[in-house]
Amino acid sequence: MRRDDKQEQELRLLQLRFIGKILAGFTHESKNYLAIINESAGLMGDMIQMGKSSEKDLSEYLQIIRSVEDQIRRSNDHFRALNRFAHRMDTELSSYNINESLEELVALLTRFANQRKITLKKNFQEDIPSIYGNPALFQLLVFSFLDKGFSTLDKDSRITLQTAVADRTVQIKIILEGTVVKQESDVPFLPFEMAEKIIDQLQGNIKQEGGGETLLILPLTAS
Amino acid sequence: MTRTKILLVDDEVEFASALAERLQMRNYDVRTASNGLEAMALFHESPPDVVLLDLRIPGMDGLEILSNIKKFDPSIEVLMLTGHGDRESVQKGMQTGALEYIMKPIDIDELTSKINRAMKKREKI
Repeated sequence: MRRDDKQEQELRLLQLRFIGKILAGFTHESKNYLAIINESAGLMGDMIQMGKSSEKDLSEYLQIIRSVEDQIRRSNDHFRALNRFAHRMDTELSSYNINESLEELVALLTRFANQRKITLKKNFQEDIPSIYGNPALFQLLVFSFLDKGFSTLDKDSRITLQTAVADRTVQIKIILEGTVVKQESDVPFLPFEMAEKIIDQLQGNIKQEGGGETLLILPLTAS
Repeated sequence: MTRTKILLVDDEVEFASALAERLQMRNYDVRTASNGLEAMALFHESPPDVVLLDLRIPGMDGLEILSNIKKFDPSIEVLMLTGHGDRESVQKGMQTGALEYIMKPIDIDELTSKINRAMKKREKI
């Protein structure tokens, strides 16, 4: 098999693994929302069966109902993030907004971060124009650096995603801050040469700036 | 009759609060903790009869908490709460000494049945 074909196949497998991780996290999060709704409904049922109908009880019923509504709203936001993430793969190339695609990743990965007691922070320049390229590959690339942070940093660490426009490019900085407790394994999620291949396809550049900072540079208008 | 003392460890505060209230209505004495440190502090302050433990709480590993509980008092039974069917974690939990696991969303009757089974086992020791 030619080297290019082999790399292409590896890239597709990595994309599948990436989607698998996102789906696993999503289903876990969704189950939590359902668990809260289930307990809240069960609690109301228990209270009604016990004949609880004082003013204090009615006030508690309202509180439970609001909690259920809140969980449904949060769950809906989560579904929306997954839906947008899924549609990134509709076409290989499209016009997309960097901040929005990063917002989706953050929404879908916050639980991973919370479980590791790692803060996932956003610092986005507001008026970044849309760019033309492969948004699914862009998300895979960013995820690979976030995954490195999740795998190697100690709890109470921080990962910041920063965006800015400069010199007719969009610059995305991924900053890992905290104690490294585990060296990146011999087989990282995305080998660096694969990251370089992806950034090539995105017609951009990667700079490893040291001190846990990685800079991705994408052109404002791809040719 | 002494009420069964339960320690419920889950980082989803609303879930834990609603479940605790439902169990209290069924005559269990329930305290809740939302992280590993809080759980161990409550545990040592007043050891429970049964622990309901979410395997995936942030910070301290659920299996580490389970192991600490079993070292302190092997007769305290632990039921694992899991939302994601992580077979590997459940298997490790059972090997570390957990009695059973229960999947979220929880069936309250199934849960109380398992708690009562855990108490019967504890009373035999």
